[in-house]
Amino acid sequence: MGIVLSNIIAIYRRELQSYFISPLAYAIASVFWLIGGLFFVTILLGPDGIIPAVNQIDLQGQQLGVPIPPIDVPYEFVRAFLDRMGWLLLFILPILSMGLYAEERKRGTLELLATSPVTNWAVAVGKLLGVLTFFTTMIIPLFVFQAIAISASNPPMSPTIPLLGHFGLILLAAAILSLGMFISSLTDSTILSAVLTFALVLLLLFVDVIAKSIGGPVGEILGHFSLLKHYNTLIQGIFDTSALILFTSYIFLGIFLTAQSIDALRFQRR
Amino acid sequence: MKIIKKNKLGKYLFWLGPFLVAVGLTSGLFTGNWGIISLVFLITGIFISALWIGLQSYQTKWWNRRSTQVSTNALIAIVAVFVILGLVNFLSTRYNFRKDLTEAQLFTLAPQSQELMRRLPQSVKLWIFDVNRNPQDRELLENYRRQSSNFQFEYIDPQARPTLANKFGVKDYGEVYLESGDNRQLVQTLNVNERLSEIRLTNRLQQITNATTTAVYFLQGHGEQAMTSGQGGISQAIQGLGDRNYTASALNLVEKSQVPEDAAVVVVAGPKRELFDNEVKALQNYLNGGGNALLMIDPNTETNLNSLLQEWGVILDNRLAVDVSGTGVGLGPAVPIVTDYGQHPITKEFGNGISFYRLARPLETTPVAGIESTTLLQTKPYPESWGESDQQSETLEFDPETDLPGPLTVGVALRKTIPAETQPTPEASPTPTPRTQTPNPEASPTPTPPEETPNPEASPTPTPPEETPNPEASPTPTPSEEIPNPEASATPTPPAEIPNPEASPTPTPSEETNPISTTEEKPAESTIESRLVVIGDSDFATDGLFEQQLNGDVFLNSVTWLSQQDQQPLSIRPKEPRNRRINLNIVQANLLTLSSLLLLPVMGLMAAAIIWWKRR
Repeated sequence: MGIVLSNIIAIYRRELQSYFISPLAYAIASVFWLIGGLFFVTILLGPDGIIPAVNQIDLQGQQLGVPIPPIDVPYEFVRAFLDRMGWLLLFILPILSMGLYAEERKRGTLELLATSPVTNWAVAVGKLLGVLTFFTTMIIPLFVFQAIAISASNPPMSPTIPLLGHFGLILLAAAILSLGMFISSLTDSTILSAVLTFALVLLLLFVDVIAKSIGGPVGEILGHFSLLKHYNTLIQGIFDTSALILFTSYIFLGIFLTAQSIDALRFQRR
Repeated sequence: MKIIKKNKLGKYLFWLGPFLVAVGLTSGLFTGNWGIISLVFLITGIFISALWIGLQSYQTKWWNRRSTQVSTNALIAIVAVFVILGLVNFLSTRYNFRKDLTEAQLFTLAPQSQELMRRLPQSVKLWIFDVNRNPQDRELLENYRRQSSNFQFEYIDPQARPTLANKFGVKDYGEVYLESGDNRQLVQTLNVNERLSEIRLTNRLQQITNATTTAVYFLQGHGEQAMTSGQGGISQAIQGLGDRNYTASALNLVEKSQVPEDAAVVVVAGPKRELFDNEVKALQNYLNGGGNALLMIDPNTETNLNSLLQEWGVILDNRLAVDVSGTGVGLGPAVPIVTDYGQHPITKEFGNGISFYRLARPLETTPVAGIESTTLLQTKPYPESWGESDQQSETLEFDPETDLPGPLTVGVALRKTIPAETQPTPEASPTPTPRTQTPNPEASPTPTPPEETPNPEASPTPTPPEETPNPEASPTPTPSEEIPNPEASATPTPPAEIPNPEASPTPTPSEETNPISTTEEKPAESTIESRLVVIGDSDFATDGLFEQQLNGDVFLNSVTWLSQQDQQPLSIRPKEPRNRRINLNIVQANLLTLSSLLLLPVMGLMAAAIIWWKRR
């Protein structure tokens, strides 16, 4: 067990190093920050943003002397922002996951990895942890900006809901990355891997819509597999174990399928 | 030669399998019913495919190869993992732990709703006849369903299923019905501005699952509005009551000397002739024993109810309510329009909707101790409405001498708390009797603990030296006001006509029991309430007028409130988020904008450039 763990850590470190010395990773991060920042500013401060809109309502209420229904501005802001971030993940994560195995295949190092004494799933776990860590570091600055904005709220807001929401964001990212890793292990073309992952994630996000149009028990079962539905539950501030279990299932499935696909490779080459 | 040809044909024949399966699936999915045709296609398709696979494997003998064995193992493992994950997720939806972390519990049902759902006795189905499915509504309904497996809901497009829609009598999109057994009830009509409300849904759920119907009696025998349909009938009102789980029956107090035990509400709808004294007495007794009555009394009628009304502080005015503002919409001056409603459970959802009252008489209320009165219906202020005393003349003109300037009160709701008949022995409870006439703790000065004060609520003076056996006889110093105010009545003397055996001497032991806390602890079991609604018109509830504007709602809501079944559901508060703002000043906002839009991405780009430059 200790050996497996140290193997995982070794793979994890190697992956992380490759990210932090890769100019491409920084370029991706930079684009991500730019789009994320754009969302942040437009939702919070932009002309149609939540602060000016609520100020407008307040002003109207004062002029007309009408009581205004209560609005929880920071809560609405965090929810709206995390909702947009969920969509942003759809575009960013396939780019992060596309190279995980496809790159190794292209370079010819995958055989090395597949025949090494490290088990396949340990490799998969290490790689997933690495890319997830990189993603988490990408969202940290955005989280800090939100924390600054929320700290200016009156009366103060407890950090429970933003924390739960970001936890949900990381879980969603982990599920998508895990599936992306599996797709990446199937092909040696990074572009193809990214496109396929994008399609798969789009399907998993939209399965909710399909399920609603079908209706009935079949629709209900399909609807449960929707990533977006469970993500929305979490960012609304509802802690639900079934959402956690669904995300964990996707993560596990991705790792398992990756291990199987590498296993098949090992057998084919023999 | 022939054999090869046959084989080729067989190859093509194989494609027939998937093709037929596809045909079966599409026909089944699109028509929505899995009839015999789609099933035949499906079964034939599957049979052909299976045959082909069997044939092929027989020819190639692929199962003997090693690669097959390994990939079969892998396949089994993958299938197993899928099945396990599916099962785990299935279980996780069944037995999940859910916690609403929002501060205002935005996504949690009110405790009353939860309690109701937990003991939902029979299966209830909610039908929503609408095409667009609001996620907020769905969320709410899912919350209901999570509480009880007896609750189901379904969205129906009324265009797509007209028979079902007809069964419910759906008139428009957005109507929501509850169905339980043979019982069907309209909950509300959804539109863009009005989403599904938990308050209404829980209300209706309680009504529809309540097996016992509530009895409403209509007094008969003095020319009241007939309970049958037709001119001057109130059959629509009775129908409306039936929809809300009330049974309406006639009551003749000449035959029976008292109001039946099971009567939740007695309705007196527009008597034309005087009631006998015995009848009035029976009504009085009923009201004093916790009964509830709706009195609708038209102008120019003598009903002999004045003594009863006086007891409640209601005076019927003999003038006619006149409202000239309704001429624009075709209503004459003798039809007052009411858009001004009091803050009361009966009228709280009316906003400024319209209800109108043909030939109505104004009411006046005087404060009476122990009775809380709320104005329900009020006409427009003076220039537009007044109480006309001269009803003979052709022209309607305001005469300041004899006429009453508006706004006039046309309807009023009253409630009176009455001490309960049954009570435990005084020795058993060290508390000061909570059933003294006014359970109003505010009026009590601090009771002096060492002496035994039989009635701490009404003794600001040094306490009497000996135990006074009768609180009524105790030297209670009368407060300075002459008129007993029900809000702060310090006089413990109950209204004379109420027999009050409870006011018997209960010497409170000299403990430091706080009378305030004890009176508030159990007021529910110590008092009963009786309610009265008086409306100076009975026409508004008759057939034809009942369905117009809010007239029917005034009647039905009044009966609902009177029946005293509304206390639980009405106490549900609408969910409201916390009122919170983000106060960023210009400097902070600019800093945030700059750092998030410029600083951070540029830093990332620079890092990328530097690394690229170094590695080049």
